[in-house]
Amino acid sequence: MSMVKLTIDGCEVEVQPGSTVIQAVRAMGADVPHYCWHPGLSVSGNCRICLVEVEGMPTVQISCNLGVRDGMVVHTQSAKARAARKDVMELLLINHPLDCPICDQAGECKLQEYSFEFGSDGSRFAFPKVHKQKHVRFSEKVTFDAERCILCTRCVRFLDEVAGADELDIVNRGDRNEIAVARGGELESPYQMNVIDVCPVGALTSTDFRFKSRVWFLKQTRSVCPGCSRGCNVTVGARWNRLLRLVPAENAAVNRWWMCDDGRFTYKAVAAGERLGAPLVRRGGALEETTWDEALAAAVDGLRKCGVDLVGVISARLTNEEIHLAASVLDEVGARARGHVSRTCAQDDLLRTGDGNPNAAGAALMGVPAGVPSLDGAKGAFLCGDDLDGDAAALAALDGLEFVLYAGTHETATMRRAHVVLPGVTSFEKDGSFTNVDGRVQRVQSVVAAPGDALPDWK
Amino acid sequence: MAYVKVKRRELTFAERMYLPAIMKGMALTFKHFVGVGGRKGVTLQYPDEKWELPAFYRGVPSLVKDTAGREKCVACSLCEFVCPPRAISIIPREIEGVVEKAPEVFDIDMLRCIFCGYCEEVCPEEAIFMSKEYEVCGETREELVFDKTRLYEIGSTLGPDGGTPDAEKKWERLSREQSAQGLGED
Repeated sequence: MSMVKLTIDGCEVEVQPGSTVIQAVRAMGADVPHYCWHPGLSVSGNCRICLVEVEGMPTVQISCNLGVRDGMVVHTQSAKARAARKDVMELLLINHPLDCPICDQAGECKLQEYSFEFGSDGSRFAFPKVHKQKHVRFSEKVTFDAERCILCTRCVRFLDEVAGADELDIVNRGDRNEIAVARGGELESPYQMNVIDVCPVGALTSTDFRFKSRVWFLKQTRSVCPGCSRGCNVTVGARWNRLLRLVPAENAAVNRWWMCDDGRFTYKAVAAGERLGAPLVRRGGALEETTWDEALAAAVDGLRKCGVDLVGVISARLTNEEIHLAASVLDEVGARARGHVSRTCAQDDLLRTGDGNPNAAGAALMGVPAGVPSLDGAKGAFLCGDDLDGDAAALAALDGLEFVLYAGTHETATMRRAHVVLPGVTSFEKDGSFTNVDGRVQRVQSVVAAPGDALPDWK
Repeated sequence: MAYVKVKRRELTFAERMYLPAIMKGMALTFKHFVGVGGRKGVTLQYPDEKWELPAFYRGVPSLVKDTAGREKCVACSLCEFVCPPRAISIIPREIEGVVEKAPEVFDIDMLRCIFCGYCEEVCPEEAIFMSKEYEVCGETREELVFDKTRLYEIGSTLGPDGGTPDAEKKWERLSREQSAQGLGED
């Protein structure tokens, strides 16, 4: 099909027929202010902020719902368009509370941004503002503030179109319009927290992240979610060397703009439980803290003694680089079997794959199959990144071994059975790469510092 | 640029002697010494006597409560953000009522504070004021990190609302407006 040629702000752009003006503007690298329009959702056209001037048309038009036409001449920054947006801003802010000091969205709020660009410094509205319910529980994960809502319906459309759960809708009429959970219940969708991200204002906020920190203080790092083998791209927010939230980062080829709620909470495991901070070596029945040099010497010694009677468990939660190195250690010693602990998670057609190992594909490619190899007849075991806590029989089998080397992040029952313990770090504390379920290799970046002397397994 | 040579005036003999100027200066010193012509000593006998501070004086930053004794600070962290030496650290918490947020921890490191007053200027809730307190001393570094209790203590010297009470309180206004429209406190 031939492309459509139009002129936007003096630049000639070619786009696919059937595109809208806002898509054409974004295709050329610019943007038009928008609230209700979202690249991943259907067009709703209710916020009216994306007004542009089109030559030959009597009034300003909403660019999100205006199809491109050959020879169209669009002005996104003309005085007429800007004046129209200013008026829209004023109307949107008539009943908007001045909540910015207590609102979590402040700093990444579209209302603030466009108000800065088009808004006036005061309100001409002389009457009391309409007040609505604040602090409404939509579920244990999502908190709603009706006053702040601009009724763009992005959340309604997300749940309906993407998550396939028709759980939110608009109720009441006129200035009493409000978003409400359908049938008076609570949100149940496993993707419900995406409504927090699509919400352009502070109406929907995360109960977990609520009031934890202002967003402008967060150190934001692009990384990959360690929750399942999909490998959703995420932006990790951290402060005071603590992980505070995970939000999806756009990647059209993997997760588009979304991620599941389970993935958002994977950061909690990092600070949960007892983290290992120093290498440990078993001396006279008890594990004692030692230096890396001594622990590594003891580890090498133990592995060599086991030789072919060594069994390796290399976690598919490790990065490609770590799996490769751990596998080479097993090759060097001549270990007889290797594998990784399989993990399951919820599965659906949207994102969740059902495989709880973020690097299962990478492990398989490097010759580490799923499933823990039998420990029968083995003399030693090298557990790298995986523990056997979920498997009582395997755990008991560890007791009978002459040598157990454990490289992991947390204190576990497995770790207490080891002879040498090397403290490792989680995927939020190291650099490396994961291979996702489709074979895409994606970079993982360190966000926070690891406790004590713990080092990534490749160091 | 062209140079302009400035011709200096030649000094007179008396000026070159220096003595007349010295005598003039000594005479002024003597006048202050004996208090001739109503001049009094300018020395302030600190700490028995204290300086009367001007209204614009910027002392230790302090937190104030409103006339009903409620914390005005909503932990928006703007002062923390604007603070040039990063002396302020705040950890927010959620509270019950029409105002949903308050500080859990509000520390000002007085070793860092430069008394610039930006925090007072930026505060959207008029909760932080520069007090007239200027005697900041301690024996350890920890002592000089003023916590919330200490900051409210200093702020209480200014009176509720920082000495300039609001005609209409935020809490009351919000509660009144909300209940008028049939909404609960929450």
